[in-house]
Parts: sequence; C-alpha cells; structure tokens
Amino acid sequence: MFSKEKIILAYTIEKCNKCNLERKRKFKQGDYLFALTLKCDSCDGITMIDKIFGETIK
Amino acid sequence: MDFSNIDFDKLFGSSDQTDPIMMLIWILPIIIFVFYGQRIQLAITLGEIKKGIKKLEGYKTNSRNELIEFVKINMNLEYDPSKKIDKFLDYFTIMPVDMDPNGIIAKVRHIVRGREDYSREHIKSLSPQTSNLELSKIQTLLEIASSLQMIYKVINHLFLTAKKHNNYPLILPLQMILPLIIEEAEAMSKAIPGFKMAQPIGDGIGPMVVGKMMLDTKKESIAFQTVFSETMYDGRKLFLLKAEGPNSTVGRPGDALESIVFKSKPDFIIMVDAALKMEGEESASIAQGFGAAIGGIGIERFQIEDIATKNNIPIFSIIVKQSVKEAITLMTKEIADQAVNVRLQIYEMIHENTKIGQTVLLIGVGNTVGVQQ
Repeated sequence: MFSKEKIILAYTIEKCNKCNLERKRKFKQGDYLFALTLKCDSCDGITMIDKIFGETIK
Repeated sequence: MDFSNIDFDKLFGSSDQTDPIMMLIWILPIIIFVFYGQRIQLAITLGEIKKGIKKLEGYKTNSRNELIEFVKINMNLEYDPSKKIDKFLDYFTIMPVDMDPNGIIAKVRHIVRGREDYSREHIKSLSPQTSNLELSKIQTLLEIASSLQMIYKVINHLFLTAKKHNNYPLILPLQMILPLIIEEAEAMSKAIPGFKMAQPIGDGIGPMVVGKMMLDTKKESIAFQTVFSETMYDGRKLFLLKAEGPNSTVGRPGDALESIVFKSKPDFIIMVDAALKMEGEESASIAQGFGAAIGGIGIERFQIEDIATKNNIPIFSIIVKQSVKEAITLMTKEIADQAVNVRLQIYEMIHENTKIGQTVLLIGVGNTVGVQQ
C-alpha cells in the first residue's frame, strides 16, 4: 500500500553562454552534458546543457 | 474442564515440595536447547538468508531481461539474442597465479583487457552498424548483469553448502556480509535505467569538471577511448585528459599518461575522481589529498604511479565523496552542484603548487557516460 521506493526524476539545466539564463526542464533521451541545444529565449545566444541530475520527489 | 481449583503455587513450584511436572516444564527446553539450539538458530538464520537470496535472484533476472530487451531494440535484431547473451553472462575470468607476484600487474591487465576487447567485438558482431555509444552502453549493462549473476551464484552456493551440512559456523560469515552485498547489488540494479538513457552518474563528476574545461579546445584521441587537449591557465600550460564521452567508458588514463610523458613531461598531476564516503560523512563533500585517485582493479593506478615515480612527478587528488549507490546511479543535484567548487579548488591547487611556465596534467577520472567534452 505504501511503497518505500523513492521516485527520482531526471532534470536537465540549459544555460545560455551569452546571457547566462538558466532553464530547468525534464531530461529527455539524447541529452548529454555540454551539448548545444537551442537558441536562447531571451537573447540570440545558444544554450548548452550545463547540468543533468536526479531529484527525489517529496 | 474446571480450572477453578488449580493450585498455581503448586503448579509453578513456589511451594517447598518439588513437582515433577514443573521439573519437566523447565528441564525439557534446556535439554532441547542444549542439543538442538544451534540447529534452531541455523533454521532461523537460513530463513533470513533465503529472503536475501530471493532479492539477489530478482536483481539477476531483472538485469538479464533488461539487457536482452535493450539489445533487441537498440541493435534492431530480428532474432532472439537470449542464447548469445546468456553465453556472455556465463563467461568467467581466471586471474593469474599470484604465488610469485613479480609482473602480475601486466598479466592482470592482459587478461582484463582481453576480456573487454572480446566482449566488445562479440557484441558488435550481433549488429555491426551499432554506434559506439550504444555498444558502450550494452557493454556496461552486460558487466552489471554478469556481476549480479556471479553474486547470486556465489551467495547461493554458500547458502546451499551450509544447509546441506547443517553447518552453523559456515553460515555466520554469510549472514554478516549479506546486507552489504544486497546493498551493492541493489545499487547495480538501480543503475540500469541510467545507463540505458546515457545519463551522467555520480562517478562522472571528474569527467564533468574536466569536460567543461575542454570545451573550445582542440581534442585528440590519445589512447583507447581517451581524449586529450591543451589549454592555458594563468601562465601555466594545462594538459586535460578524460575518457571519451558521452560513451559509457572510463578510458585508459594509464596508457594516455605514458604517451603524454613521452612527448612532454608534466611538472604536476592533479586527478579528480569520485570516492566512496565513509558512513557518517556528508555526501558530495570535497576533499584534497596526495596520490593517485582512481578506482578499479588497480592496473590503471599502478601504471600511473609507476610513470609518476620514474619521472618524479608529484600527484595530487581532489575527490567528491558519495555512496556506492550515488556513484553508479544518476548524478544527484548535490554532486552536480559541486562541479564549480571542484574547478575553483583545482585553480587554487595549481596556484599554490606550480610556477608560471610549468605544465600541469589534469585527469578527470571516472565513467563519462552522458558527459561530452
């Protein structure tokens, strides 16, 4: 009834090299650390995956 | 039956007269425990161990099934690879004779690398067009599955032997080590999803730190699955070394160091690695020390120590402490957040221990799955 298993979700942090804006989203297959991803939402820079980590759902 | 006329004083022998029924009640268990105590204890302990072995069997079966499913999907196989996979899982490694330890490291290296090369080539033969990333993931999953199979086999063997001979002393060491073994097996089992998705693991903190420093530098392959690049920092030449990501590999830093020293001898070596924390120590805490921080069977560490000693190069290390589970499963936020602090400590170490114009070799040790450069 009450599972002891903790649920861990993987997240990816994308950071813009130009304006340093950080965006946190759920990890998706094909994400690798330091891979260039998309254009930044707030400037014309390119975002890079800065961190990938797991967080336990409380 | 009428219980109202029972004399409890008499029954429990509180009166002066000795009651034969009471004597039996007290003496019988004593006799049973004297002659059968150990067997009763053995039966209870065996029951507990059996539960643990069931868990180990579950991890073993689950890892095998996950591996077969992953191979089928990622290698686009039309046939069932179960038989071949089972053959790989049953491979054993016979370590060289250690009665005369002289030269044993070279022999161990030869056997271990032979095993790695053989399994890589045979996995590739299932589907030659498979990418190196997928191959490295399958090879890691195969290592996990075969380790879990070996753990289950050995523990089950000890359990059945003790049971067969009703041997209580034989079961004691098993009872003591089983919780630790289950903890490691559980960690391995939980590592499977992360490796399938090529997510960075706790052990990847070293490659993560060095990989970021390698961005915007010219990378070259220096040893098998190992990359090297050069940069400058505050008047010092920095040689950067790590396993080739985002593949699931630890590379061959020993061979790489040999090659680097042959071309241009560094004045100082800094190794960054994950290390197992002691109970009570805080996870993701950083520590500095002397000597080569690198795990594994010991062949890489021996090679690095040997080269450093012959060339009189000091080795310093920075470690990020974590549990076994944290080291092989998806990197925690706490460990990922420490990458910045580790980098700051590296620069501080360089300032404190080297002069302008000197060369520093920085090695990011660990599995680089999911970490590019």
